[in-house]
Amino acid sequence: MTIATERAAIAPKAAEQPWGIGLLRRIIDHRSDYLYILPALLVMLVVIAYPVYYTIELSFFKTPPNLQMKDKIFVGFDNYAAILSSSSFHRVTINTLIWTVFSTGFAFLLGLAAALALHREFAGRGVLRAVLLIPYVVSAVAASYVWKWLYHSDFGVIGALAVQFGLTDRPINFLDNTTTVLPSLIVVNVWKEFSFAMVMLMAGLQTVPEQLLRAAQVDGASAWQRFWHVTFPHLRGVSMVTVLLLMVANFNSFIIPWIMTSGGPAGASDIWITDIYNIAFGRQRYGVASAYAVILFIVMMVLGYFYVKALTRGDEARAG
Amino acid sequence: MNNSRDREPKANQRSYRRMLASSVAFGLTASLACTTVQAQSVDLSKWSPEYVKSIAGTEEVDTAADCAKITPLDYKGKVSVWWTGPNDASPDIDRKVHEDFWAAWKATYPNIETDYQNIDYNQLLDKLRTATLGNAAPMVVRLQILGGIEFASKGYFHELKPEDVGYATADFWPGAMKSVMYDGVPYGIPTNNETMAMIWNADIFQKAGLDPESPPKTWDDVVKYSKQIKEKVGVAGYGLVAKQNAGNTPFRFMPQLWAFGGGALDEAADKPEYKSVWLNNDGAKAALQASYDMYVRDKSVPVSALTNTQNENQAPFIAGQLAMMIAHPSEYAKMVDLASKATGADKEVADKVVSNMRYGLIPEGPDRRAVVFGGSNIHVFKDEYVDGGLDEQAAKALVCFWTSAEWSTKLAWVTSNPGNLRGFKTKWMKERLDTIKFLDVTTSMLPNGIPFPVIPEATEIMNIIVPDMLQNALTEKMTVEEAADDAAAKVEELLSGL
Amino acid sequence: MSTATQSSLPTTRKPIDWWRWAGRFTILLLLIFTVLPMLWMVLTSIKSQFAALQYPPQWWPAEPTLNNYWRLINPADSIGREFLRYFWNSFYVSLITTILGVVVAVPAAYAFSRFRFPGRTFLFFTVLVRNMFPAVVFLMPLFLLMRWMGLVNTHGSLILTYLTFGLPLSIWLLKGFFDNIPIQLEQAARIDGATRFQAFLLIVMPLSTPGIIATSIFSFIGAWNEYVYAYTFLSKQESMTLPVGIQRFFTEFATDWPGLMAATFLMSVPVVVLFLVLQKYFVRALTEGAVKH
Repeated sequence: MTIATERAAIAPKAAEQPWGIGLLRRIIDHRSDYLYILPALLVMLVVIAYPVYYTIELSFFKTPPNLQMKDKIFVGFDNYAAILSSSSFHRVTINTLIWTVFSTGFAFLLGLAAALALHREFAGRGVLRAVLLIPYVVSAVAASYVWKWLYHSDFGVIGALAVQFGLTDRPINFLDNTTTVLPSLIVVNVWKEFSFAMVMLMAGLQTVPEQLLRAAQVDGASAWQRFWHVTFPHLRGVSMVTVLLLMVANFNSFIIPWIMTSGGPAGASDIWITDIYNIAFGRQRYGVASAYAVILFIVMMVLGYFYVKALTRGDEARAG
Repeated sequence: MNNSRDREPKANQRSYRRMLASSVAFGLTASLACTTVQAQSVDLSKWSPEYVKSIAGTEEVDTAADCAKITPLDYKGKVSVWWTGPNDASPDIDRKVHEDFWAAWKATYPNIETDYQNIDYNQLLDKLRTATLGNAAPMVVRLQILGGIEFASKGYFHELKPEDVGYATADFWPGAMKSVMYDGVPYGIPTNNETMAMIWNADIFQKAGLDPESPPKTWDDVVKYSKQIKEKVGVAGYGLVAKQNAGNTPFRFMPQLWAFGGGALDEAADKPEYKSVWLNNDGAKAALQASYDMYVRDKSVPVSALTNTQNENQAPFIAGQLAMMIAHPSEYAKMVDLASKATGADKEVADKVVSNMRYGLIPEGPDRRAVVFGGSNIHVFKDEYVDGGLDEQAAKALVCFWTSAEWSTKLAWVTSNPGNLRGFKTKWMKERLDTIKFLDVTTSMLPNGIPFPVIPEATEIMNIIVPDMLQNALTEKMTVEEAADDAAAKVEELLSGL
Repeated sequence: MSTATQSSLPTTRKPIDWWRWAGRFTILLLLIFTVLPMLWMVLTSIKSQFAALQYPPQWWPAEPTLNNYWRLINPADSIGREFLRYFWNSFYVSLITTILGVVVAVPAAYAFSRFRFPGRTFLFFTVLVRNMFPAVVFLMPLFLLMRWMGLVNTHGSLILTYLTFGLPLSIWLLKGFFDNIPIQLEQAARIDGATRFQAFLLIVMPLSTPGIIATSIFSFIGAWNEYVYAYTFLSKQESMTLPVGIQRFFTEFATDWPGLMAATFLMSVPVVVLFLVLQKYFVRALTEGAVKH
């Protein structure tokens, strides 16, 4: 990367100042500084803080179908208990894990393969990279409709191709089948996001010192050894961030499963997010849906912690 | 049953009589005839296609004069309304009628400022739910027949009955009036009522060695025909749909369920109480088994049925890739419209399918012939939930105008039937009967109509639990037996308030 | 591993480089995987409605037609009128989101880069975790909030929400840029009599233009593609944006797959073009922050 190395450290020392008068004075001293971040902060507060508060509050209430929201009934942790003990939660959680882990894993591996293959300069490399990135920039809505059409159980091209090549004698049933639906959706997701991993890793590859590789080659290291002992360790940081970002995105992804199957058939492609949406908007159990959402928040926060940690590792290393 | 092409008037007439005979034989089901017939302008006990024809064009109405009694024509105010109106796929005539309606409304009440939003069928409920939470509802909403109960039970709706806008309750279908009552209080007025019918492609029937002019008489026949069509012609037989959370799944599956003697609750009973669950009785299981046989055993229906809504069936039908389906009255007009817009080679295919289109009664089962008593009702929100507050006079004027004999007939032009029974006596009804050939078939199904349970949980039962049951059985995730029991258990749980 | 075998050992002729061939093969497979769906989308979009509903499919359209496209972009057609209206709405919302995003992000990023105020780290990371929250679970509270602010059914509700998608990344990215602009430059300008703001405007801004472009593309594409909030906040047909509008087409055209594919294609054109033209910046926006350590 072209950015210079000298990055201002995120000052952990400043944050460690004791609370109290000193802090207050410093806040007052810096009052004009806050003006700069005020607009950003306000927008973020409005769009995050209130919904989080609202969701947490509502998660302790029951919202029966014949009562208005203002008449909601306090039920303590009942909603949480109901979710955690329901059999569908267990099933949906397994789906969510399959969806997240496989989407992330395949996107990362394909991205890594592409990055390694595209790392060397050759004519048309830029074009190739651009083409591979197109799925990443088109909307998930568009992607979902295109793939829904490709997969169509009666008129889909993939099923027809399989018949054409003699792989099956009937068009393959991708989306209307409980065993194939989730893998089929994962393919769409990987299609859409593997190139994200690719560009991240390509950027990461630029940081691998050329001399080290050459030295290794002179020492007679095989290509695999060079990758494993020289290249890969340099990619560790960026890989971590990439995997975490993919995981967060996949945990949160709604559009692809929603538009393509709405979680069906028979719940086979239901993941947390689609389940939450269905509970809230399909079945009007806002309280239960909120509790569900809070559980999701907690998972997100754990992932977020690692994300921030991965991002700041360099800073701390430099500061320390 | 019959076909609409003018070149075959005789065949048309013949099948028409056959249909008539059967519908008269079945007469009025109790669900519709349960209220006593009072001094109403249309005698429901005589209901038959011939009676309908005989009364059409016998009464003159003056809508403006009627509504002026409710709200003076020079009233100054404003009104907001949400409804699901015609869209780009609707036949031109449907769009034209709605344009005329708003123009006539403007001309009648020039000083009422009107904000009307035409919202997609599948989105309207979602949007309204969110809107009511934020007190951002419109003053007036027209909802599909199943949609209102939920809001009424939560106390969002203003009390509203036909008398409030100058009409008589007796002038509306009893079944429809039942759908606007919650806890004994009326909170809406039916705008239009409809029942579906069976539509089939005679050409495909012929090729499959079936009588091209007669629909399957029973649901067992549907299974048999579907299989025969798939085997002989290679196209899908029956247009099964089983998508979750799509309103049109229950509209197509419930008639089958009722025909076999099943039900979600006891809505098909003479005097439904909505307390007992019928989803796993023998009839319900038999109906589910029939669907299973078509989808899993015979593979004679579209494989995409689990991700399909009825919309996805229209194109295959008009392309000659699907032989029969349960169709809305408007579907014929839609097909004709689709065909008229087709070009090149498509045109030939489409024209051929249109000329081979036949409409007939929905098949009967061991217990009865049944169809969903469908339609829409118009409601008024209470002041405190309305965005900007309620202008009661303006809202009433609009409701009066909308449910008038004139406009409830015209607005239902290609899609259904007037909610206001006096509409059947107008000259416009006569014009409709003369120009829309299949209309009498779908109208004849009205006495077989069964309304969905009038309880707030109905949407969840119909849109989630019933499609889930189908999906569980059709994907073989559960056996038919298990799927029915599972669904019944879910309904029990729902009703017990958990 | 092309990395490893790279050019620079010109000494000996090597036997067939299996790694390089494996790389090429991988690229070929990925290219097919990426392109085929798009190709089928385009092929379907130039078929007539029934031609698309054949089994086995017409691999190549027997009678290719541009009708599906004409209908969508013809303002005289009611469908075209609607589509163009959605298109404009999407463009408008995305553009305003992008501009406001820069206006809000630049000072914030500058502050995070230059100032040492209490709570800086905490606030910085609060901003960063925004994208950890899925849109779906916020729909209802946000709707209520928008309602309270009188923004329901306006594009303002979307712009306000969309701002927050781009902000974390924009701030993060721009902070990186500002960090790398030596503070001495500004100090020099201040000595020459410039105010802090002038120094910022004249020295810092021009140097961080690439960063601003990068974050802008990102915000624009994010806003253009957003679906969930648009679906919830807007009920007026005339204010709908493309992703929601497309869905309308889907339910309303009796599932006209070729028409839908044409609409999908047209919807993707602006973002793909924007991306192709400014690819360098886009890639930078993506990778920034994760790689520089």
